[in-house]
Amino acid sequence: MAERNVESVNKVREAVSQDLLGGRIDLLLGWEKGHYWWQSRPLFARSEADLEKLAWDSFCAVNLSRYLLEELKDHDKVGVLVKGCDARAFNRLLQDNMVRREQVILYGLPCPGMLDYNRLVEKAGGAPLEITEENGRVIIKVGSGEQEAQRDDLLLDKCKDCRYPDPAVYDQLLFSPQGEKEVTERFKTVEELEEMSAEERFGYWEKELSRCLRCYACRQACPFCSCRECFVEQENPRWQGRAYQPSENFMFHLVRAYHGTGRCIDCGECERSCPVDIPLQELNRKLIKDINELYGDYEAGLDPEQEPPLLTYRPDDPAAFSEK
Amino acid sequence: MPRTGVFICHCGTNIAGTVDIDKTVEASRNFPGVVHADEYRYLCSEMGQDIITKAIKENDLDRVVVGTCSPRMHENTFRKAAAEAGLNPYLLEVANIREHCSWVHKDMEEATPKAIALLRAAAAKAALNEALEAPRLDVEKRALVIGGGIAGIQAALDIAEAGYEVDIVEKDPSIGGRMAQLEKTFPTLDCSACILTPKMVEAAQHPNINLLTYSEVDEVKGFVGQFDVKIRQKARYVDPVKCTGCGICWEKCPSKAPSEFEMGLSKRKSIYVPFAQAVPMVPVIDRDSCLYFRKGRCQICEKECPPQAIDYEQQDEIIERRYGAIVVATGFDQLDPTIYGEYGYGQHPDILTGLEFERIFNASGPTGGKVVKLSDGKPPKKVVFIQCIGSRDKARGMNYCSKICCMYTAKQAILLKEKVPDAKSYVFYIDVRTGGKGYEEFQRRAAEEHDVAYMRGQVGKIFPEDDHLVVRGIDSLTNRNIEIKADMVVLAAATVARGDAPELGRLVGINSDSYHFFNEAHPKLKPVETHTAGIFIAGACQAPKDIPETVSQASAAAVKAIGLLSKEKLQGEACTAEVIQSDCSGCLNCEAICPYTAITPVEIEERYKDGVLKRTVAEVNPALCQGCGSCAVTCRSGSINLKGFSNDQIMAEVDAICLQR
Repeated sequence: MAERNVESVNKVREAVSQDLLGGRIDLLLGWEKGHYWWQSRPLFARSEADLEKLAWDSFCAVNLSRYLLEELKDHDKVGVLVKGCDARAFNRLLQDNMVRREQVILYGLPCPGMLDYNRLVEKAGGAPLEITEENGRVIIKVGSGEQEAQRDDLLLDKCKDCRYPDPAVYDQLLFSPQGEKEVTERFKTVEELEEMSAEERFGYWEKELSRCLRCYACRQACPFCSCRECFVEQENPRWQGRAYQPSENFMFHLVRAYHGTGRCIDCGECERSCPVDIPLQELNRKLIKDINELYGDYEAGLDPEQEPPLLTYRPDDPAAFSEK
Repeated sequence: MPRTGVFICHCGTNIAGTVDIDKTVEASRNFPGVVHADEYRYLCSEMGQDIITKAIKENDLDRVVVGTCSPRMHENTFRKAAAEAGLNPYLLEVANIREHCSWVHKDMEEATPKAIALLRAAAAKAALNEALEAPRLDVEKRALVIGGGIAGIQAALDIAEAGYEVDIVEKDPSIGGRMAQLEKTFPTLDCSACILTPKMVEAAQHPNINLLTYSEVDEVKGFVGQFDVKIRQKARYVDPVKCTGCGICWEKCPSKAPSEFEMGLSKRKSIYVPFAQAVPMVPVIDRDSCLYFRKGRCQICEKECPPQAIDYEQQDEIIERRYGAIVVATGFDQLDPTIYGEYGYGQHPDILTGLEFERIFNASGPTGGKVVKLSDGKPPKKVVFIQCIGSRDKARGMNYCSKICCMYTAKQAILLKEKVPDAKSYVFYIDVRTGGKGYEEFQRRAAEEHDVAYMRGQVGKIFPEDDHLVVRGIDSLTNRNIEIKADMVVLAAATVARGDAPELGRLVGINSDSYHFFNEAHPKLKPVETHTAGIFIAGACQAPKDIPETVSQASAAAVKAIGLLSKEKLQGEACTAEVIQSDCSGCLNCEAICPYTAITPVEIEERYKDGVLKRTVAEVNPALCQGCGSCAVTCRSGSINLKGFSNDQIMAEVDAICLQR
């Protein structure tokens, strides 16, 4: 992976360093390498030295826009590296009045999709030591030799069915866009769940949600969760208990999903950040599918000017309950 | 801890018949905060109210729960009683143990615990009730009447006579509406125009009435006492100030189009007044058929107009005015019977609807008042009237009875006999419905003295043969097939809501039934009110109606409007929304959802680290807020509370019901 990557990281660094060092932005939100080579974590760059750590590789899954919520309190102008999902998340924040457009400079990065370490392990049949990428193929080096795999087979779940890998909003696009991707399986699991009987479905979610630790990582990673005080933490009224028992877990996840109706940008960060692998994206996608079916296709975060279906009234809105 | 008093009403046997009152009173004594509990046969009576007022004073109560009928019925009664004892009326809470309990249950064993649970919930909520003050609001002393038919004219005249300004908005070029199209009126047979036109003229001349014809309502905002309305006055292309109504323009105009007023049976010019007695007598140019607008040449009207009133450059004008009250009187349409293929409507000139036949009688109508067939100009000798075309028809039409058809059919049959003495009428009916003063007598007269044969039955097919129409039907009383060789067929097509009624309802903010007739607030007790305060309805836009009913309803609506306009101040809504700004993230979804534009963004300052952070949050204008609660349910973080129905109050109710089972 080395060469192509060095080049592109340099290109990104070059683009942002002028702005950061020239004082056009006070902070750059990007990625740096984590403990392991297969981890890229958020980088909060304020200096040239910080920029040295900048990474742009196949593990930059973290959605950076969400960090603006905090960082804009302390910085006047922030630069953010945005993939397709980061850009849609930015539009989400923009539409929710959480940020002002002029406070942020967006550096657009058309995204090839990020890789899933677990899939690498699976393919390699052991702990991989490093990878190299070439023309849509990934060569995984393990102690005993090398394994080769299709890059598409190693993608994170959230990237597999990503329809808009190019940023929908940016000030500067750093690489050439790849265009809208055709996705066929985005609602496959939702459809399977819809096929189930109510009891089966309840059983499915009861099992999945029973693992929830109520750590709220999903909420913290989510660009639509921008409440100052989440309903789970409110005391008066106390909407729900804190204990992690099935009924309370249901309440939390269903209410959270409903709060994202017509707002979720389908970045999948909730599911990716979940430490116990609850398929949270399916809850969100069920609501995305419902919104599409009821109000016509709507992709949250693509166009902040487009009015969200649940905040507008059209005379032909479905209202089955009031029909004759 | 609050000092709550609980009062339970027997409502005769309405509640006491199904709910064990003694048990309920006993249980109430054990609710948290309850220091007094009592019952009475009729709490809403004066005696009952006294019991409440006295108990408040004697027991120093600061919260009151009444277990009675729906708050829609008597909440105000009890609030007043509480206020009498010096308690803020919003500290009283109603538990609906009649509609929500005794009326829907039969078993006392089950109904009693439910009544107790409802009371427990009300007591839990009451404990959290806060004293509220209703804002006092101004009333714009002007009414808007939408629709210039007989309903609108009558309502406007009554309001104007009471001394208030009224604007009538009429979408057609003249006021007059459906009644202007009628020949004579049942059951007295006086000429419709003769009794209508004086009212039209009176409306036009009344100093308090402002006619806005050829105009439509574009937008209604605001609320009772202060409706802000945008009215689009469509371009007439004629200057109404200069125009003298001399008629030269429409005499000279070379192009024609079907006349809407004549139901398309004859043509009118492209510059026209809809009918001879039009008010105002100012023509309009119909752009779609005008040669000048279509092809850029002609301009004869402009050249010929003596006062030079023609103005092709005229634009639609938007008038913005504030009104205290609105009367909606937009009338009805006639169902298009082409959906009933068997009747052949539209395929033969002698198959008419009731309203079309009405025009045939009229001296200024398409035949100049001669009752003749449109096919050959000869008088019809045999006319078949068919009732209930689209009315009382679950399968293909409307479920309801159009109410006026039986009577106007009898009228038309009588008129026919007068004009064509050797004519014979046949009426196919399901039932003849003649409720109303003098109506039955009138219909009998038609049957007995005017040679009208009433046949209970249905027509299955109508088709032309030689120079007549063959009507095949069945007489359901004798079960015999009937075949009539008729010269003319008149279809009593159903009275239906105006095609644009749903849109207008949405615009004005009133709802309609499944047929798109506007809904009254209560079918018996609030027949002219709507669920939106300050908006009243009159005439056939509410349901099919004849003229006397329409006029009485219009006067009723006018009285309601006058009552409103005569108030110095209106009591606004006390239960308004409020934003908990420290929790508000400022997403302003509430602003998007608010139907009353009562929510606006506001910038606040908050302490942050060593400095101050400015941020935007939502704010509710209590004068504009109508307490609908849409914002409260839209707010994800629960940062909006509807006063009187706050989140913690609702949760307290839920807990009181669920946690004690």
